[in-house]
Amino acid sequence: MKTAKTTLEKVEAGLPRRRRKEMAFKAIGVLATAVGVLFLGVFFATLIAEGSSAFRQTFMQIEVELREDVIAPGGELDLVYADFDGLVRTALREQFPDVSGRTDRRQLYRIVSAGAGYQLRDMVEADPDIIGSRQTVWVPAASNVDMLVKGNIDPDIDETLRPISDKQVAWVNTLRDVGKLERRFNTALFTNGDSREPELAGIRGAVMGSALMLIVTMVLSFPIGAAAAIYLEEFAPKSRWSDLIEVNINNLAAVPSIVFGLLGLAVFINWMALPRSAPLVGGLVLTLLTLPVIIIASRAAIQAVPPSIREAALGLGASETQVVFHHVLPLALPGMLTGAIIGMSRALGESAPLLMIGMVAFIVDVPGALTDPATALPVQIYLWADSPERAFAERTSAAIIVLMGFLLLMNLAAVIVRKRMERKW
Amino acid sequence: MKMTAMTEVTTDNLEPPSVPPSDSPGEEEHSAGIVLPDLADRPTELGETVGNIHCENPFMVAENVNVYYGDNHAIQNVSLEIGKKEVIALIGPSGCGKSTFLRCLNRMNDSIEIARVTGNITLDGKDIYRKEQDPVALRARVGMVFQKPNPFPKSIYDNVAYGPRIHGLAADRAELDSIVHTSLDRAGLLNEVKDRLDEPGTSLSGGQQQRLCIARTIAVNPEVILMDEPCSALDPIATARIEDLMDELCEDYAIVIVTHSMQQAARVSRRVAYFHLGLLVEVDETDRIFTNPQHKLTEDYITGRIG
Repeated sequence: MKTAKTTLEKVEAGLPRRRRKEMAFKAIGVLATAVGVLFLGVFFATLIAEGSSAFRQTFMQIEVELREDVIAPGGELDLVYADFDGLVRTALREQFPDVSGRTDRRQLYRIVSAGAGYQLRDMVEADPDIIGSRQTVWVPAASNVDMLVKGNIDPDIDETLRPISDKQVAWVNTLRDVGKLERRFNTALFTNGDSREPELAGIRGAVMGSALMLIVTMVLSFPIGAAAAIYLEEFAPKSRWSDLIEVNINNLAAVPSIVFGLLGLAVFINWMALPRSAPLVGGLVLTLLTLPVIIIASRAAIQAVPPSIREAALGLGASETQVVFHHVLPLALPGMLTGAIIGMSRALGESAPLLMIGMVAFIVDVPGALTDPATALPVQIYLWADSPERAFAERTSAAIIVLMGFLLLMNLAAVIVRKRMERKW
Repeated sequence: MKMTAMTEVTTDNLEPPSVPPSDSPGEEEHSAGIVLPDLADRPTELGETVGNIHCENPFMVAENVNVYYGDNHAIQNVSLEIGKKEVIALIGPSGCGKSTFLRCLNRMNDSIEIARVTGNITLDGKDIYRKEQDPVALRARVGMVFQKPNPFPKSIYDNVAYGPRIHGLAADRAELDSIVHTSLDRAGLLNEVKDRLDEPGTSLSGGQQQRLCIARTIAVNPEVILMDEPCSALDPIATARIEDLMDELCEDYAIVIVTHSMQQAARVSRRVAYFHLGLLVEVDETDRIFTNPQHKLTEDYITGRIG
């Protein structure tokens, strides 16, 4: 009996230390989670703080006389060479009749966006009946004015230190006082392609490019990845070769993505002579990137199917192929789809491999086909981040917010797919 | 050793011996006037199979079957005959190879890479391990029910219909319906599920799931049904129902059942085969094996000394 007592004493003696260790471990866990959440919070807060202002754009109201002799000289509608900019300038002069002298007038014309003229042209093209009439149009203000209105340029500092002059500030204030200055939703961000002018720049081209690339990636990588996983898991005989393949696939999932870009450059662009900057090539490169991820996730999903189901099917006289396609695949599908969606969301955020294949070009047209030159959203973000204009800073954050939105949606889709398709066995 | 005269084998007659382990022949206490043969005559070592491996109307015949798992000699030289419409129980302590032997009968060991089977197993005269034998065709004739009920995560109807579908046993939907209904009926499950055939098979209780698995197996119309401890995961009531079922099924199928429970073997089977460490120690009719086992190891197992 003395032995039993000593054991109990020993256990009880060690208990306080063990309890302390447990508490410490739990505290560390909570701390680690808190730090993670904190960083995430800071990230999102910064992002939203910087980017949310980009969703609003300053517009100013001008009254334009759509003179027939300018737009349709001699009765012929000339949309290409008609001086719409001149009409805008006239409207501005009418708004501020006291402004004289070439320098001052040039400053006056600069408070309106360079795209105002194109806006007038589009109006006329849509409805030629308005030629000859006087129209009240809301045109986007120049990006400097926009920055001023949003408070990003301090009007009180020395004039030489800011991109907007005192006179321009005064004119903007006048317009604001008479109610001809408004902040509206920045639809241009979503409807336009890239542009040198920040107030006209949009992500539509980049989004289309990304979408086309992802379609190519999805169509290629999921079937190939799934088929490879099924073969490796179910049919391939266990040998040195299959071990080698498994090791290599696992390694490929960890290879830096820029290497895939180099491969794409060498094989797809140099050797196969596919068009540069095309979503087709981008999609092919991203397929190479996503394939290892999908294969690994699919193999795990297939391995997770309980052997009892396979045995039941085999016992009934199903062939190996029937076991795979009638039983294993339906049960492994949720896991495979989740892996595919996660792989796809990684592909969406890649920019390094795309830079290598030429999608870093300045492309203004929205791509319509797989072989049109295009850019991708992460690349667009990179290009805007590089830009010196002040207004691009907030647009970079706005584009990042849009990208994050897509990624969140895709991951949400992965969670929903998993929940919906999970079957109890 | 106490042995009372038995007219039927029931649970309460199989009690552990009351003698100390070190007994020597000739010093037994008898009661009720039964004279037992001298223990010295009984075989005590593992060697030739004792009893009668043959039966009338043999349908499956195993001859000198050896199974190796890598270097492990799991089944050693087993020969056994299985009759056309009988229930034969394979009993023995854990790890003695009864499940392994059972799985040889429908070539389920094929999917285990390190397993190697030698010897001869014939079904209706034809060797099932010959090269031209397709395991798929074999398993349509020799069905299997597993220890843990494993219905497919499909509807009850689709579970039972799966076998007939892949083997093309039904010409049209009407015929398939009738096969499904008949199988569920014979498995004693139809009344409970006939108005919910579209519900998933996994929504049933344990006992119902196992009966579903049995229905699934008989839907293919096999000739032999192998059962690997089918009731070990079930409660006594479900177990009793399945044992009753076996009674009915043996009118049409040969049933080979592996069981851990001697009482169950005594209840359902007509012949019993006792395995020990990979060897077939004794085969005989159920009554005889439980009242008068011929091998010492069999006796030890039955009386609970080992196992």
